[in-house]
Amino acid sequence: MAYSDKVVDHFTNPRNMGSFKKDEEGVGTGMVGAPECGDVMKLQIKVQNDMIVDAKFKTFGCGSAIASSSLATEWLKGKTIEEAQKIKNTDIVQELNLPPVKIHCSVLAEDAIKAALADYQKKADGILADAK
Amino acid sequence: MDHHPHSTAGPRELQMARSMCWHCQSEVAGEYFCDRCVKVQPVSKELDYFTCLGFPRRLTIDQHQLEAKFYELSRAFHPDFYQNKSAAEQTISLGNSAMLNTAYRTLRDPIERAEYLLDLEAGSVKQIRNSPPADLFEEILELQDTLNEYRAVERTSATESTLRTKLQSERNMLEQRQRDMEAALQQLFVQWDALQDRGEATSQARAERDRILKEMREHLSNRTYVKNIVSDLVSTIG
Repeated sequence: MAYSDKVVDHFTNPRNMGSFKKDEEGVGTGMVGAPECGDVMKLQIKVQNDMIVDAKFKTFGCGSAIASSSLATEWLKGKTIEEAQKIKNTDIVQELNLPPVKIHCSVLAEDAIKAALADYQKKADGILADAK
Repeated sequence: MDHHPHSTAGPRELQMARSMCWHCQSEVAGEYFCDRCVKVQPVSKELDYFTCLGFPRRLTIDQHQLEAKFYELSRAFHPDFYQNKSAAEQTISLGNSAMLNTAYRTLRDPIERAEYLLDLEAGSVKQIRNSPPADLFEEILELQDTLNEYRAVERTSATESTLRTKLQSERNMLEQRQRDMEAALQQLFVQWDALQDRGEATSQARAERDRILKEMREHLSNRTYVKNIVSDLVSTIG
């Protein structure tokens, strides 16, 4: 099976690879894994005033998993929290032209986005609660 | 006809009990061949692999017994022996052989056997989502960074040998961890079998069942993660 050009592009030239400090203010971390194939994905967002100003990822897995998370970070940047919630794995499948056997990679990326957003929210709520 | 409004028999049992020989219509209760007309019977696709091979749903299986049963059935179903039979029998022989091969391949390997059993039994446990092992994931991602560093570094440099030593010791540690997980799985297999043998229907037994399945899922998943990074390590540092 051949990877699409877009997958190859993201795979050979991944965007936003790296990480933020977990406890940094405004950072949300999503850590997910696919027990079926053993892929591991970490996706982080940095939020300021409800806007995702930066995103980073680290992925241990196949080319499609790396491409899916790389694309996800690109899309996340500049989006509001609300807009980010709407990113669907099917959007990733379409953009990267993923074959059926690689759809689970896009699912993993969506899960990572959701987990990062939830983590950010949890931290933000905690800070609010502390302030009260 | 008996009516059992509260019968606990699932659709699988009912189907088995009702099945008839496709050729002479006499009753066959899950046998591979009809008692009366001796025609080969299709193994239902609904059957689980344990039943298909005539084994109880246990995780400790005698390899020799399994192999012997597989060979016996392979001979019984083999398409070569059906060349002069009717088209219907040839089709059944093909279908049964394919099913038998998959069943044997799945049950032969203890890990695949356990994965398969989890699939069969998960029903009530599926809701219990294990939270991802964050520490293990961090470790794997960090290790991957070191691996990338190692791949980029100049061969035979001092940095290379330092990194190599580090990766080598990580590899040993992870391999040990994989062995530990496999030992833990082995224990869970024994516990599962013992629980099945007792056959209790108490709430305590149900809780025990769910605990075993959940822990099994956890160890199986973590083992896959560890195995993946180990194989990456092995292919990189040799």
